Amino acid sequence: MGAPPRAVTGRWRARLWLVPATLFVAPLAAALGWGVADGIDAGAWSRLLADPRFRPALALSLQVGAASTALAAALALALATALHGTRAWGRLVHALPALLAVPHAAFAIGLGLLVMPSGFLARLVAPVAGWSAPPDVATVHDPGGWALVAALVLKEVPFLLWNVAAQWQRVGQAAALERQLQTAAAMGYARRTAWARVLWPQWLPTLAWPLLAVWAYSLAVVDMALVLGPTRPPTLAVLAWQWLLDADPAANRQGAAAALALALAMAGVAAAVALAWRASRPWRASRWTRGDRPAARDAAGRRAAGASAAALVSVYAAVLALLGFVSVAGVWTFPDLAPQRWTGDAWSAVRASASTVGLTAALALASSAAGLALAVAWMETTPARWDARAAPAVFATLLVPGVLLAGGLYRAALQAGVDGRFAGLWLAHTVHVAPYVLVALAPAYRSHDPRYAQTARALGRGAAATLWRVKWPMLLAPLAAAFAVGFAVSVTQYLPTQFVGAGRHATLTTEALTLASGGQRDVAAAFALVQALLPAAVFAAAAWIGRPGRPPGGGR
Amino acid sequence: MPHDRLRRRLIASALAGPLLARAAAGDWPAIQRAARGQTVWFNAWAGSERINAYLQWAAAEVRERHGVTLRHVKVADTAEAVKRVRAEREAGRLADGSVDMVWINGENFLAMKREQLLFGPFAEALPSYVHVDTAGKPTTRVDFSEPVEGMEAPWGMAQLTFFGDARGVPQPPRSLGALLAFAKQHPGRVTYPRPPDFHGVTFLKQVLLESSADRAPFARPVAPERFAADSAALWSTLEALHPSLWRHGRQFPPNAAAMRQMMADGELLIAFTFNPNEAANEIAAKRLPATVVSWQHAAGTIGNTHFLAIPFNARAKAGAQVVIDFLLSPRAQARKADIAHWGDPTVLAVERLAPAERALFERAPAPGTVAQPAPVLPEPHASWVEAIEREWARRHGQ
Repeated sequence: MGAPPRAVTGRWRARLWLVPATLFVAPLAAALGWGVADGIDAGAWSRLLADPRFRPALALSLQVGAASTALAAALALALATALHGTRAWGRLVHALPALLAVPHAAFAIGLGLLVMPSGFLARLVAPVAGWSAPPDVATVHDPGGWALVAALVLKEVPFLLWNVAAQWQRVGQAAALERQLQTAAAMGYARRTAWARVLWPQWLPTLAWPLLAVWAYSLAVVDMALVLGPTRPPTLAVLAWQWLLDADPAANRQGAAAALALALAMAGVAAAVALAWRASRPWRASRWTRGDRPAARDAAGRRAAGASAAALVSVYAAVLALLGFVSVAGVWTFPDLAPQRWTGDAWSAVRASASTVGLTAALALASSAAGLALAVAWMETTPARWDARAAPAVFATLLVPGVLLAGGLYRAALQAGVDGRFAGLWLAHTVHVAPYVLVALAPAYRSHDPRYAQTARALGRGAAATLWRVKWPMLLAPLAAAFAVGFAVSVTQYLPTQFVGAGRHATLTTEALTLASGGQRDVAAAFALVQALLPAAVFAAAAWIGRPGRPPGGGR
Repeated sequence: MPHDRLRRRLIASALAGPLLARAAAGDWPAIQRAARGQTVWFNAWAGSERINAYLQWAAAEVRERHGVTLRHVKVADTAEAVKRVRAEREAGRLADGSVDMVWINGENFLAMKREQLLFGPFAEALPSYVHVDTAGKPTTRVDFSEPVEGMEAPWGMAQLTFFGDARGVPQPPRSLGALLAFAKQHPGRVTYPRPPDFHGVTFLKQVLLESSADRAPFARPVAPERFAADSAALWSTLEALHPSLWRHGRQFPPNAAAMRQMMADGELLIAFTFNPNEAANEIAAKRLPATVVSWQHAAGTIGNTHFLAIPFNARAKAGAQVVIDFLLSPRAQARKADIAHWGDPTVLAVERLAPAERALFERAPAPGTVAQPAPVLPEPHASWVEAIEREWARRHGQ
């Protein structure tokens, strides 16, 4: 390869970032343009503001989002703090792929089956309590939304722990962490204090994006809110979803306005929290550095955290077991613990849809590969400080309700003439997958020590060889994890698949959701289980690829 | 200007529609010839594996008989297909659309008809249409008080039907008054889906018709100044009913499927449906015990029809007409009415069929079917739906 003149290379390299940025932003901007245009309509806003459900629904959404984000963050940090360095942590990290692979909707259905008034727990208690009919207690669809908060927390804690683990798995991190803890211990600080004052202040900024994703997700989530959330009013995301899917275009515009209102509220609160965090830095610094040595009962904390982690894994196990049980339950009257009649109908329906597995996997592989390529290209061509510029585009996809984005993508695909084709589907899935891949990958990728690459270059390796032989092998674990996240995101897409694919390309999820619209519980449970299997396999593969102790560079 | 071009093309296609339909009326063999080799993408709600299996059977039949490939595009909500056709027109795709045929009725039909998103009229020119019971089943020609005018072909019948386990409901309440008394006797064990859910609104309409002495106003558009007086009986009945409902009428299940599941679990004693054979279906599918019975209010319950339509930009219009004609044939309608397959009541006048075809419809009564069929009450005028929804949301919705 002949070397081009240096100046040209430099200018070319300086503009290289335009490629991933354009590839990523162009379809998204087109889709959002179409989608958001609907929401900028004075009539729609006045109807929205006049709707008596709007304000209570918005308040409910913010309450659910704040409570679930705060609880999930607190729980994840407490678990990571107390369990770091223990065998329990290793076991928990091994279990995470399985927990993450359970799709949100499937988890919500299973959790509902566990805790609803006619659910398994109530049936266990019924003989003791003397219930012949399910108790008249709103354990799901409760007006405060706490069933939804609980489900979100249970689903988001593994996601946050996964991010923490991905950080710690990076080459050299474990040793650095241990050194800091030892230094703190030598200076007389309890473990917990060392974490709170030294380690988390370093780690938290790298968790900012995952936390923002959790907050955005908890506000925009529709499927879980439909299964577990309040109904009078429902969350604003559910209201927007109902309006956007209505056959009446006026209702669609009101839905688009509601979706924009939700996105604005989400962004506003996130910005306020970020500002407050920054403003409180001097106060925090003065508290952390005043030199006191508070006593902390680390052992008790460890035992409690170990129990919590075991409880978390048990809830997932119970949910999955119950889904399996219910998928073969026919007639099953309260308060009997076992069904009066069993049925295999749901699994015949699954068998009849088996042909969709291939397309589901192909689409997920293609779109997460493209998403990974885009994310890596973005980070290779831009400095870290530019990530803030990408944030709006990234969070637009996480924030904007799926219906709105799917509608916009669909219209873009119509214009491009790729609707109803695999190429269009691949594009639509990539637009949804890429932001999650970027969010999952950025912390590890950005904090990769540049001296490794500098050393390799100094030793005469080219840029490509440095990436292939040094940087990417070292980052194999986070790369594989991000790929798995993208895969799981692709598998769960319903609306983009239906709209852009013109309904002609059936995936596991379109089969599951169209069948679930009939409200048959055994079918919903069976498909929920099957939907969890594909991503579980990929997460397990990612965990195996990125397992600690695997020699970088593939064992040469 | 693209907009002008679009408008001109729209006018052209609107003009071409009736011309094509008239050609259809005259020349059925030509349509059959054109249909051969076509692929018909049928967008249909797919929430029941039994319905999906029925469509697979129909696909095999039309391939063998007419050389048409029928592909079921599974949708969770018909509005998805309506939105796709609308978006295609906005994008200027006036031919080669992605939807060849759609299962539809009510507000989705109204939207597509008013926005001229439908091909037709075609329905009354289909050879099988002669057997449709337009006199005995007037809802085959008026869809939620919107005249059908041949823009969709009737496919199946629906009527509001209650069901419950005879062990918990030994004497089914066969009137609104009896239902009210039953709810008071069994507090917390009766409810209805939360409006604007379709079944919830249907329940409100049933209460409106059954509690009002004079039903004449409901056949006409809502008169805003008379709405309070005309609907007073509905709201006072709900005031009486709500305290005895599940969760004291402060919460409602999201849809009829959830209500059915709650009834199956024993949380509720009574559920209702628009398919008179739903309980029988669910018994056959082992999801309900064989002791479940179905009934309708003796003085009649609300009924309507569901239809098949062809979008204006369908690629396989001939193929779609051939498929719809087959689905209207006595053979296809008899299999659809059979509880072993689907259990959807026929739109045909069975008594007018030839004896051999009539025999296809004769079957021993299955457990769970309606023992004493009641008359069908026509839907109130479509304008009542929104008025009732809005007033319900104001009184009970928050």
